[in-house]
Amino acid sequence: MPPFAVPDLSIVVPLYNEEESVGPLIDAVRDALAGHHSWELVLVDDGSRDTTAQVAGAIAASDPRIVLLQLARNYGQTQAMQAGFDRARGNIVVTMDGDLQNDPRDIPLLVAKLEEGYDLVAGYRMRRQDKVVTRKIPSWVANRMIIWLTGVRIRDNGCSLKAYRRDLLDQLHLYSDMHRFLPALAAATANARISEVPVRHHARRFGVSKYGLTRVAKLLADLLTIKMIASFRESPLAMFGVGALMSGLFATAFFVAWLWSFREAPVNLDGSPLNAYVFPGSALLCIALAVFLTMLGLIAEEALQKVRAEEQLERFGAREVHG
Amino acid sequence: MTELARREHAGATLARAGAHPDVSVIVTVVERPEPLDALYREYAAVLASCGMSYEFIFVAHPFFHEMLQPLMALQQQGEPVRTMESPRSIGETALLRMGLADARGGIVITVPAYRQVQPSALRELLTAVEGGADLAVARRWPRLDSKVNRLQNLALHLTAGRLANGKLHDVACGVRAARRDVLQDIPLYGDFARFLPLLAIYNGYNVVEVASEQHPSDLPRRVYGPGVYVRRLIDVLGLYFLLRFTEKPLRFFGLIGSVLAGIGGIALIVMLVQRMLGQPLGDRPLLLLAVLLATLGVQAIALGLVGEMIVHFNASRRRSYRLREPRVPGSESARSS
Repeated sequence: MPPFAVPDLSIVVPLYNEEESVGPLIDAVRDALAGHHSWELVLVDDGSRDTTAQVAGAIAASDPRIVLLQLARNYGQTQAMQAGFDRARGNIVVTMDGDLQNDPRDIPLLVAKLEEGYDLVAGYRMRRQDKVVTRKIPSWVANRMIIWLTGVRIRDNGCSLKAYRRDLLDQLHLYSDMHRFLPALAAATANARISEVPVRHHARRFGVSKYGLTRVAKLLADLLTIKMIASFRESPLAMFGVGALMSGLFATAFFVAWLWSFREAPVNLDGSPLNAYVFPGSALLCIALAVFLTMLGLIAEEALQKVRAEEQLERFGAREVHG
Repeated sequence: MTELARREHAGATLARAGAHPDVSVIVTVVERPEPLDALYREYAAVLASCGMSYEFIFVAHPFFHEMLQPLMALQQQGEPVRTMESPRSIGETALLRMGLADARGGIVITVPAYRQVQPSALRELLTAVEGGADLAVARRWPRLDSKVNRLQNLALHLTAGRLANGKLHDVACGVRAARRDVLQDIPLYGDFARFLPLLAIYNGYNVVEVASEQHPSDLPRRVYGPGVYVRRLIDVLGLYFLLRFTEKPLRFFGLIGSVLAGIGGIALIVMLVQRMLGQPLGDRPLLLLAVLLATLGVQAIALGLVGEMIVHFNASRRRSYRLREPRVPGSESARSS
C-alpha cells in the first residue's frame, strides 16, 4: 500500500500510561490484520506520564500505517477518542482499549457484521476477566440502567471494542465522558442501526486499571443528560412545559388543601387564625417554580435557535452549491 | 505633537529597531502604578543585558492618563515604547487583550505597573521559555513580606490554587513570560487574566514556575476594601466552574439541586406519612421550608439540563482537546493534520 493512499479501515486506540502494552498491542494488530489490504492504526496518547509516547512514536516512525497523536495533557478517554476520530481516514473506524484486554483478532468479525448493513457494531465481552465486585457488578447495574433509560439494547456499553461507519461518527460529537454512551447517543440523535457481536476478553497483563468504583453520581448525571437529549432534542420547551405543568398541579393541590381546611375549625383555641400561610405559601412557591421552568424552556429554545439554523444550513444549504 | 504624528514617530523607531522585536513587554496600568519611566528603564536594562531586542507596550486605564506622560517623552527620544489607553473603564484582562493584539515579539512578557519581583527575574523567565516552557511564571520566593499579604496568598491558594493540582504556588504574581501564540490561543475574558497560568494548564500548556526574589516595594502590607474580596471570591467560583464543569454543567447544578431537592423531598414524605397518621398538616411551617427546598432543587437541576443542552448542541463546533507540538519522533502536530 502506498503511504498516501486512504485506508478502508482505521483502528483508533486511546493510550494512557501503557508503555508495556503498546508494543505487543501493535504487533497483535499487525498479525490480526495481515490479510486485510489497507488499514491504519491511530494511537492517541492521552498525556501519559510514562514512556508510552516514546515507545509508540518509535514504532510509528518506522511504519507509515501507524499514526501517533499526542494530546497536550490528560484529557480523558472521550477526548482521546474524538481526537482519533478526527484524524482517522477510513470508512470504517474500530475503537479498542490500549491495555490488551480486547483482542485485535475480533476486528474482522466486527467489520464483517458492520458490512451486513449496520452503522455501529458493539462487542460484548464473553467470560469477562475482571474483578467481580469493583468492575463486573457496577458495570451490570450501569448497563441495566442505560437500557432502561435509553431503550438501546446494548449488553455491554463498557466494552471499548466497537466498529463504526465514518458517516455516523461525523454526526456524533463527543465531550465530557460521553464515549460510554455512544450507542445510546447514536440511536437517539442519528437513528443508527446497531448490532452486537461477542468478543474475546483477556485479563490485564500490564499496568493497573484506570477506572474507579465511585462513578455512580457522574453516571446518573450523564444518563439524565442522554435521556433528555434523546427525548427532548426537538423541543426542550416541551420538557420544561411538562415540569411546569406538574408544578402547577402541586400548586392546585395545596390550594385545594387550603380551601378544604376551612371546613374544619378556622381558628385555634386562643382565637388566632389557623394555618393562614402554610398552604397558600406552598402553592405560591409551586406557581413560582412553574413560571421559572416555563421561562427556562423559552431560554433553552432561544439558545438552540442559532444552532438549528446552522444545522439546517449544513443539511440543505450545500445543495445550492451543486444546483 | 499630534496623536498621529506620535504614532508615526513610534513606527519609525520600531522600523529602525527591526520590525519584529524578540520580546514584547506588556505593562497593564490598572492598580497602584509606580512611576512608569523608571519601571521601563529597569526592565529594559535587564532585557538589553540578555541581548534581546524588545518593545514595551503600556496599556493604561483612563484613570491613569497622567502617568503615561513621561513615557511619551521616552518615545520621542526614540525608545521602543508604545502607549495605549482604553477608551473607557475596563479591567486588567481587557487591557491585556488590547496589548496582546498589538504585540509583535515572539515572546511576550506581562508585568504589572508595580514591582513584585526584582527585574532580574525576567532573565530566568526568558531562559525558561526558550528552554521549552510554554509559559513561565515568577514565584515570589522566599516570601519576605507582611504576614497579612502571605495570609491572603494562602487563602487564594486554598481556593484557586487547588485547581492547579499543586503545580503553582503564586498565582497572584503578575510577572509572566510566554510564547506569543500561547497567549493568543488562551481565551481571556472577564477577570481571568490573573489566573492565566491556571488557564494555560487547563489548555494543556507546559507551565513552569521560577522562584524570584521579591522586590522591596512589594513588601508592605496591603489590605483592600470588602468589595475587592467579594469580587475575588466570585472570580474563583467562576474559575472553578469554568475549569471543572464547563463540559458537564449538570454535575455541578445536579449535585446542588439533588441535595436541596433531596432534603425537601424527604421532609415532604415524612410529613405526608404523619398526615396520614392523623397529624394536621396545615399549621406546620416546616411544609413551607420543604416545598421551598424542593422547588430550589428542581430549579438547579433544570438549569443544569439547559447547560447540558447548550454544551451538546455546541459540541459539533468545539474540540476540547489540543494536540501537543511534536516532541516525539513519529507523532503528528496539531497544525499538520
